[in-house]
Amino acid sequence: MTGTDDEWAALLRAALAGDGRAYRSFLSAVTPVVRGIVRSRGYGLGEARCEDVVQDVLLAIHTKRQTWRQDMPVRPWIYAITRHKVIDAFRARGSAVDVPIEDFAEILPADAGPDPTERGDMEKIIGMLEPRAAELVRMIGLDGATAAEAGEKLKMTEGAVRVALHRAFRALARLRERHVE
Amino acid sequence: MKTDDLIRALAADAAPAPAPARRVLPLFLPAILVSVVAVLTVLGARPDLPQAMVSFVPVMRHVLSLAVFAAALAAALHLTRPEGRAALWPLALIAAAALALFLWAYLTTPPEARMMALMGKTNSICLVAIPCLSALPTAALFVALRGGATTRPVLSGAVIGLAGGGAGAAVYAIHCTESSPLFYVTWYGVAILAVTAVSALLGPRLLRW
Repeated sequence: MTGTDDEWAALLRAALAGDGRAYRSFLSAVTPVVRGIVRSRGYGLGEARCEDVVQDVLLAIHTKRQTWRQDMPVRPWIYAITRHKVIDAFRARGSAVDVPIEDFAEILPADAGPDPTERGDMEKIIGMLEPRAAELVRMIGLDGATAAEAGEKLKMTEGAVRVALHRAFRALARLRERHVE
Repeated sequence: MKTDDLIRALAADAAPAPAPARRVLPLFLPAILVSVVAVLTVLGARPDLPQAMVSFVPVMRHVLSLAVFAAALAAALHLTRPEGRAALWPLALIAAAALALFLWAYLTTPPEARMMALMGKTNSICLVAIPCLSALPTAALFVALRGGATTRPVLSGAVIGLAGGGAGAAVYAIHCTESSPLFYVTWYGVAILAVTAVSALLGPRLLRW
């Protein structure tokens, strides 16, 4: 499910007008494309680190979504953000060397392992948020709670939940920036 | 956290947000007003300001400075988009116009008066005042455009500094009594470029995302 640029633009336009459902479709549609770019450009980062970068890109798309001009195509915008975050990832890694395991692939036992899209980096950063904000992000992300349900549990109004969630993502993006330095 | 969970959480925060360009005016306008008030109260306007504003050579200080401001701000706004490219030719055109004016003044000034016209009497005040008057407008632009997503932070920082420096120079020209292009192209130019260089260095730090 990749979709044409027009389809992406329509979804993102609806998302920017406040349509959460369209926004989720948009993010789901761009994720495989972003993952493809990260893996090809970030060859050498390792597959696990690549998924961290994919999540970084999604967070950046989110906090910078207002920099997309609605009369411009979406793809170049996504590509530019992705490239920027891959470069950041290499910079953060510095001189640390990942030994490519392709050479050993045949002698290493196949590891069924956990879900490869389950990543610890984002979880670590969420843990650095203030407890209430972290709980909110987990509730909505992991448990699939709506803003209203999360509000009920945390004794907040739905509006307050939205504001808190918005702040939580901005704080997350800032924490990730520091993480890179 | 799984990528799908992250997507679900992000989608719950689909509130509209203002574009960085919309934040420029509310932040820049108060900043430039402070600079104008500072010039009027601390340095004072030049006594013959009305005449200076209608004769070609002195008014070009304002025109060139404001042109630098406008062209640099346009470039900075383009660069807030990650895939954005800045058109730098308008800035090159303004630089060429300034150099042409400088050359014209050089040729029309008698050789023995050239050095005096170039050095002027106030170049040290000019070199201090323009960066000071540019500081707040430049800071305002940095704050406004921090919401952007530049992938060329050094260039973004530089054009923000160029815009702030141009605005500061236009404000300083209210006070400045030096009217020879030999003076103002040189010293305004140096002052604006100093602000630009500092801003270029600050760009990667202030505009990272």
